[in-house]
Amino acid sequence: MIQFEHVSKAFPGGTLAVDDLTLDVRPGETLVLLGTSGSGKTTSMKMVNRLIEPTAGHIRVDGQDVMEQDPITLRRKIGYAIQHIGLFTHMTVAQNIAVVPRLLHWSRERIDDRIDELLTMVGLKPQEFRRRYPAQLSGGQRQRVGVARALAADPPIVLMDEPFGALDPITREQLQDEFLAVESEIQKTIVFVTHDVFEAVKMGDRIALLDDGRLQQLDTPHNLVERPANEFVKAFLQHHHVQLKLMTRKISTIVEEGNSAPEDTTSLAKLQANDSLLTALGKMKDTSAERIPVFRQGRPIGTLARQRLLTTIAESLGLSESQS
Amino acid sequence: MNEITQFVDKHGYDILMHTYQHVYLCFFTLVIAVGIAVPLGIFLAHCRWRSIVASVMLTASIIQTIPALALIALIVVVCALIGWPTIGTFPAMIALVLYALLPILRNTYTGMRQIDPAVVEVARGMGMQPRQVLFQVELPLSLPVIMAGIRTATVWTIGIATLCALIGAGGLGDLIMRGLRSIQIDYLLAGTIPAAILAVVADWILARVEQWLTPPAQSATSLSES
Repeated sequence: MIQFEHVSKAFPGGTLAVDDLTLDVRPGETLVLLGTSGSGKTTSMKMVNRLIEPTAGHIRVDGQDVMEQDPITLRRKIGYAIQHIGLFTHMTVAQNIAVVPRLLHWSRERIDDRIDELLTMVGLKPQEFRRRYPAQLSGGQRQRVGVARALAADPPIVLMDEPFGALDPITREQLQDEFLAVESEIQKTIVFVTHDVFEAVKMGDRIALLDDGRLQQLDTPHNLVERPANEFVKAFLQHHHVQLKLMTRKISTIVEEGNSAPEDTTSLAKLQANDSLLTALGKMKDTSAERIPVFRQGRPIGTLARQRLLTTIAESLGLSESQS
Repeated sequence: MNEITQFVDKHGYDILMHTYQHVYLCFFTLVIAVGIAVPLGIFLAHCRWRSIVASVMLTASIIQTIPALALIALIVVVCALIGWPTIGTFPAMIALVLYALLPILRNTYTGMRQIDPAVVEVARGMGMQPRQVLFQVELPLSLPVIMAGIRTATVWTIGIATLCALIGAGGLGDLIMRGLRSIQIDYLLAGTIPAAILAVVADWILARVEQWLTPPAQSATSLSES
């Protein structure tokens, strides 16, 4: 969907912001560009829609070099969301969302319908929020509008630059969850920039860890944590290692299928097959039940036993040997 | 009280004509000044060469430091040298326009520069043409600041325009000069009071225009973050 081939960007001062980056964003996946500030992650993202132009190498979108495409046309088919400052404060919520559809000359009815559809999708009541101005919204609401706006013209590709960056931790968590739910329905190819490891692990199908303009590792969250490619990656993740390990391992492999645990269905706790060990641990802590039912797409597929979970956690943290 | 009514009875038409001249002079001055200063300010805000920006701003500031009376005299002399009319509305308007440029220019420049670059970038990133970025994003966002500059220029122009009576441009300055020459307070007031009222009314009207053009929520809370 998006290919970087030996892409470099040197700024006029001579600093090399991106150094020989080669990577491939697959259709429908969320690729997270992770790194500290100055790592070149935002620069890399902005080269996709030509807000910044590469000084070497090629970027292809849909097989065609972006430098050979008209930047205006290119940008209109790529959704773009940044931190909440990105909303136009002189426009209402509806007008903000309508920007790209209007640039594409959609009919008024079509735009109106789309605004309602998107607001509903991001959990804002259309009749209540359409006419508000960004200044009349909370941070979380603004960010929802920002996401809706990026999706307005239904672009196959969406670029997101720390879209949840300016939010308090609780709202941020909530928006991440909501976005994951929305995203699983709409199937977009997403390039997601963040400096937050936990956000990267949570949102990304794959993570590209950048440092000093160079790609350090491109892998699934699980592999990044379990099999760091070099010392930098190891050091970068070291600080939150325990938590990351539990976040990147899914419970699906340790679910006991079939018997949907009749005696324990009274407990309100529920797990999804793609929940992480950490989520499961949190749920387990809040219930006295020995088993928690597990669901996949709304259907029960089995149960997770407390003992099994704890052993697995101990194993993945490398604690099991001391037990024997 | 009686004296005033008598005076107005006698000179009402005169006052009206001079007020009309005054408004005419100021209105076209401001239209021309806005027509020059706003595009110039937009250009400067996008200009990469700092030296151009600095020199234009400096020129405008220097013009501003020349006393109004001296500027008017200077324009007349320059006009005489190059063979342009030295009496009437024409030289007066040149002087007034030069004087009105700075506040509008400076505010347009500041207004455009205070916009968060990220907002402009997101507009470009969404696929707006440069022209669309300017008219749909940059200008609406800097409008309150530009309008403040226009209001300052308006109030100044209305005041300074009274001096233009000296070079035969008419206006309320005529009445003031007449009062001065004949030492009659009636004429002085007949020129001064309408000029003051004009300034207040013009400022009020522009404030309303500004309010009408600014979205309700932006003016009050744009600076506060949640």
